[in-house]
Amino acid sequence: MTVTFRLNGEDYRFRDDPMTPLVDILRQERFLTGTKAVCREGFCGACTVHVDAEAVPSCLKPVGLLEGCEVVTIEGLSAGHQALHPLQAAFEAADAVQCGMCFPGMVMSLSAFMRDNPDASRADIKAAMVGNICRCTGYERIVDTVADCLAQQLHTAKVAGGAGV
Amino acid sequence: MAQSMERSFIAAGSIEEAVASRMVGAVVLAGGTWLMRDPLRGVELPEAVVTLHRIPFLSEVIIDADHMVIGAGVTHEALGKALRGIAGFEALVGAAEGAANPGIRRVATIGGNLCSIDFAEADLAPALLACGAAVELETTSGAKRIDIADFLNDRRALLEQAILTKILLRRDLIASAHIRLPLRKAGDYPVAIVSMALDADKCCRIAVGSVEPVARRWTALEQAFAGEPGGFPRDAERAAALAAEHNDFQGRDGTEAEGWYRLQVLPVLVKRGVAALRATEGLA
Repeated sequence: MTVTFRLNGEDYRFRDDPMTPLVDILRQERFLTGTKAVCREGFCGACTVHVDAEAVPSCLKPVGLLEGCEVVTIEGLSAGHQALHPLQAAFEAADAVQCGMCFPGMVMSLSAFMRDNPDASRADIKAAMVGNICRCTGYERIVDTVADCLAQQLHTAKVAGGAGV
Repeated sequence: MAQSMERSFIAAGSIEEAVASRMVGAVVLAGGTWLMRDPLRGVELPEAVVTLHRIPFLSEVIIDADHMVIGAGVTHEALGKALRGIAGFEALVGAAEGAANPGIRRVATIGGNLCSIDFAEADLAPALLACGAAVELETTSGAKRIDIADFLNDRRALLEQAILTKILLRRDLIASAHIRLPLRKAGDYPVAIVSMALDADKCCRIAVGSVEPVARRWTALEQAFAGEPGGFPRDAERAAALAAEHNDFQGRDGTEAEGWYRLQVLPVLVKRGVAALRATEGLA
């Protein structure tokens, strides 16, 4: 079976078993190894990618359901020659990354969450992270960074709004 | 990577096409969050699959003044958003928004939750039992409506020749609550679930999930509640005492908890449920 979808902004055609999990195509066919295959049952969040702008576990997404979809992985969030996504830059600045295994999934989950929830509270951030497990237990610094990043976004928006008056 | 180049994978464009595929043995694929874990359980993925995501009405939630219809392809996240703030359906919102984790909730469907026969921990099953739901199945001879309790008990046979298409609810509830106990707050399957719903006559339906292999109504406790002065326990403590007295479940042993523990926590969950009911707008 042939399945065609957009992968990080480019057309991609897959011809093989439609029940192949997306994570295997990303890692084994496209060598996009930022997406991690860890638990393979949707608990850990390390394989999170965006499908049609929603953060979902790629281990449980059969490629046959992706016809016509837009898939973005951590590699597509910001290509090498581009500026980092603001959340990536904030994590780097805060030195929030520890072993790095969970981080691509954290960034994919939380970047979508920040886009959809600009006024999120600390409790909202924690609730959004329950599907992303960090074995280094570096949660608090991650939550701090997302909260700071959201506050910065709000401040920037207010300044821009004020300048326009 | 490929497990089978010959696998049949049909994206049905109509429910009739989906039923026809089911009748020749295709397995229904909804969000994939249960089926895609088959290889981890040592089960091979099915040779023939039919998907429902191209059938628009399965993703609709229709809310009228006196009833609502939920398409079987509605995701947990979409269900929570659609019902949030509607008095009487707090249990369903709690189940939809508390199950699994955000990524799974964006993908997993209500139909998948109800049709995964070995999934004792399904959150929506007890919530829908408490809310008095019916389901609609599509068969080769047309649509068929049955009570959700009958569906849950008979679904292995029913789903051999039918596809779940809709969940139907009356809007006659004034309050409901969904209380779940996972070992950890984040992402775990619940050890036990108690869902409760109350109608305008203070008739209370109580359902329990995850304790036995299939969710079911706790009719002994419903009758005990009805026998109280005013037809409802005077407070949460009294409700817990009645729950301890009328506990007629057979707890299932599992990796996350043994059966005796599932039974032991039920009175506390009932207590929390009654407290939650009393805190809703409907009982204020």
